[in-house]
Amino acid sequence: MDPFNAITLAIFLPFIVAGLIPAAEKILKHYVGWLAAATALISFLLIATVLPLVIHDGPISYAVPWLSSVGIDFSLYIDGLSILIGFLASGIGVLIMAYSNGYMSHKEDLPRYYMWLLLFMGSMVGMVFSANTILLFIFWELTSITSYMLIGYWRDKPESIYGATKSLIITAAGGLVMLAGFLFLHSITGTFDIPTILQNEALIQTVKDHNLFLITLVLIFIGAAAKSAQGPFYIWLPNAMEAPTPVSAFLHSATMVKAGIYLVGRMHPIFSGTEAWFILVSGTGMITMVMAGFMAFRQTDIKGILAYSTISQLAYIMTMYGYTTQHHPGIGVTAATFHLLNHATFKACLFLVAGIIAHEVATRDIRKMGGLRREMPITFIIAVIGALSMAGIPPLNGFLSKEMFYESSVEMGAALGSPYTILIPVIAIMGGVFTFAYSIKLIDGIFLGKRPKKGLPKHIHDPGIIMLIPAAFLAFLVILFGLVPSIPVHYIVEPTASGILLEPVHLHVKLWHGITTPLIMTIVTFILGILVYSKYDAIAAWQDRFNARHPRISVNYHYDAAVDNAKTYAHKISSVTQPGTIKTYINAVLILIVTLVCIPIILLGADVIPQTLNFNIAPYEALLMLLMIVAGIAIVVLPGYLPAIIALSALGYMVGLLFIYLKAPDLALTQVLVETLSTIIFFLAIAKIPQKFKEKIPTTTLIRDVIISVAIASTVFIMLVNATQGIVSPFESLSHYFIENSLTLAGGHNIVNVIIVDFRGYDTLGEISVLCLAALGVYNLIHSRSEEK
Amino acid sequence: MTTLITKTITKICVPLVILFSISLLLAGHNNPGGGFIGGVMFASIIGLLYVVFGLEYIKTFFNPDWANWFAFGLLLSSITAFGAIFFGHNFFRSAVEFVHLPFIGEIELVSAGLFDIGVYFVVIGGLLFIFKNVGDDR
Repeated sequence: MDPFNAITLAIFLPFIVAGLIPAAEKILKHYVGWLAAATALISFLLIATVLPLVIHDGPISYAVPWLSSVGIDFSLYIDGLSILIGFLASGIGVLIMAYSNGYMSHKEDLPRYYMWLLLFMGSMVGMVFSANTILLFIFWELTSITSYMLIGYWRDKPESIYGATKSLIITAAGGLVMLAGFLFLHSITGTFDIPTILQNEALIQTVKDHNLFLITLVLIFIGAAAKSAQGPFYIWLPNAMEAPTPVSAFLHSATMVKAGIYLVGRMHPIFSGTEAWFILVSGTGMITMVMAGFMAFRQTDIKGILAYSTISQLAYIMTMYGYTTQHHPGIGVTAATFHLLNHATFKACLFLVAGIIAHEVATRDIRKMGGLRREMPITFIIAVIGALSMAGIPPLNGFLSKEMFYESSVEMGAALGSPYTILIPVIAIMGGVFTFAYSIKLIDGIFLGKRPKKGLPKHIHDPGIIMLIPAAFLAFLVILFGLVPSIPVHYIVEPTASGILLEPVHLHVKLWHGITTPLIMTIVTFILGILVYSKYDAIAAWQDRFNARHPRISVNYHYDAAVDNAKTYAHKISSVTQPGTIKTYINAVLILIVTLVCIPIILLGADVIPQTLNFNIAPYEALLMLLMIVAGIAIVVLPGYLPAIIALSALGYMVGLLFIYLKAPDLALTQVLVETLSTIIFFLAIAKIPQKFKEKIPTTTLIRDVIISVAIASTVFIMLVNATQGIVSPFESLSHYFIENSLTLAGGHNIVNVIIVDFRGYDTLGEISVLCLAALGVYNLIHSRSEEK
Repeated sequence: MTTLITKTITKICVPLVILFSISLLLAGHNNPGGGFIGGVMFASIIGLLYVVFGLEYIKTFFNPDWANWFAFGLLLSSITAFGAIFFGHNFFRSAVEFVHLPFIGEIELVSAGLFDIGVYFVVIGGLLFIFKNVGDDR
């Protein structure tokens, strides 16, 4: 298949199937998950068909015009990087959706679950293949929204809602900041199209020399950091663990959090090779890596440990992408790419294990577990493979990419010179040590040691094959990539790295390459890791004490305070702007009308005051108007709703009568009918309220109301006089156009009707939509009130 | 209001007014009338029916869900509006066609007429939906 069609289908197929899921569930019942998994598999295969072309011929880009006038097209850019993340999204999607068939109870709302999973997957695939920054932004925010729906899947748990809201606020706000960055980039380069920038070295140089370079970089990086939970934005990820575990494995370890990494990789050629890039990306990465690794110790929830570990591991990748010098812009790119792939495999595997444990043991608290190796031998083996890979033990894939991490850290340190020659490798080792310690804790705390006497179910066993196979498959990949690294390196890492570096990359990864600095660093990591692990509980206890003593030293504290303040102030403001009494709203609208009309009248001065008026009023019309005035006064002075309404409708009918005299049958008919209906509705409504005006109106209110009504009446009078007497006519009358064209263009003799349904059809469509909404609004008002009773 | 006179008059009026409202709707393009006015006409006679005979009694044999009516109307209008796009024209472009039918003569078919029928249904459905809900509230 043509690559463009293949990728377009891979993006939109999940969206289409997601729409069909609720209907499919009626037929397939709880097997609907397999439909979702099959969809993911098709997307995966479609992306796979494109891979050989990219390896052979390099990046491919296509565009279909969409909003070309503003430079936004539906354009795709297919290179190694987008294929790698696309593979992760669809491939891990297959495993997760298959696994969910075992994990999710059949009583759950399955269509909603699989629908959002598929929508997420489609958005993610769309995001990575977008060539246009605006298109990328749209899919980017779609992943935030779908993630929100999935974290909040269990709607009745307050923790889920808190976690979901937090992730949405942070990632979507980050996305908006990123959009601002894209707009800056557009103002520098004049294009939204990423390949156009990438393929033009002069343009990239322009960006780097531009005044707006720094602000553009910072804005885009904030978006990426918020999505990938880096720096202070990490706080949403631990709370996102309230999602069902397969969702955590899918979105919050393997795919969505990689979106930020993807963006950094995509923007790498444009911004790298500068000091700002190194300080911002690597600096944030290094701090996050060490801090998140350290904070993982405190966690007692196994998903909590994995969340902090994910933050820390993403920071590894971020750090490596940040390694750059002017001469060698991409020191860590290959290592980062390889780690990106490896992390997705071992972390998704560990999350699936966490899901198995939560499913079988009915708790996720690591303090209550221990000694489960005998009861769950297969799960134990899978978990050991995943955790040891994360710890960086040979011959698993985590070892390889961590060696490369150390190697690039040494290289970067050397490039910067003293004192960074030592500092950067030391920070790298610190990250590695913490990772080692909590990886061992996962195995030791859950599977080794003695089984606690209390708190665990009596019979614990390995789960069914549906849940084991996806986890086992990932564990298999961990070993395969470790033993035969040439497969992933040749097919995925090399194309991806060359996609980022924009030049062919050849890489040779071997398990054993002599005693080198990275190997020595690895051995140091293991020794220190064992030492730290022996003090694990003491460190965790110290962290708890520290936190209890200094509650303010926490990003979460400030996030909660900000959100609470926002709610308080929003409430205060809305109690002023939306007081809830209809009278205030009417006054506001009337005053606004008077003000808006007064401004031109004052500006134009005396010209608008008619000097001579030419009213041709027949005697019967005068009589009618006199009656109307009487009715108008009666509305105000009559002491009850019923007489007031009768007076009001009398006024309305007389207006209808006037229309007949003025030879406007359409208007008269409409006026009479509407008047009838509204009178009946008024009667129905006043049946519910007291029949007399009980409240005594204060004099000040009365004076205010009189002033407002006199003002609005004079305004309307002036406008009408001007309209009919033509005293101010800066504009030509529109009616000539309609009179001339209604028959020729719209084929109708009734001009009023032609205007309504044809010339101004758009307005009418809006009006009937409003009518529908008003009807629904009335329904809700009435029924919400009766529920309160 | 439920005197014998009003009941009898209402009974006679209902079919006449409904026919009149339909004629208003169809005549709208060239003569006074149109979807809005026709819809209000229809809604007011059904409203009169509700008032004269009582909502509860009418509901026993005639109880349409008016929400469906305005939903259908909005759908019809939107389809007419968007339909032009699928024929390669601008949004809301209307089409006019004159058709000769035996015995009836020449009939003018306008896509804007379909739009007007949508308006008709929205007005009927929306007004009577409000009417019924306000009246039904106990």
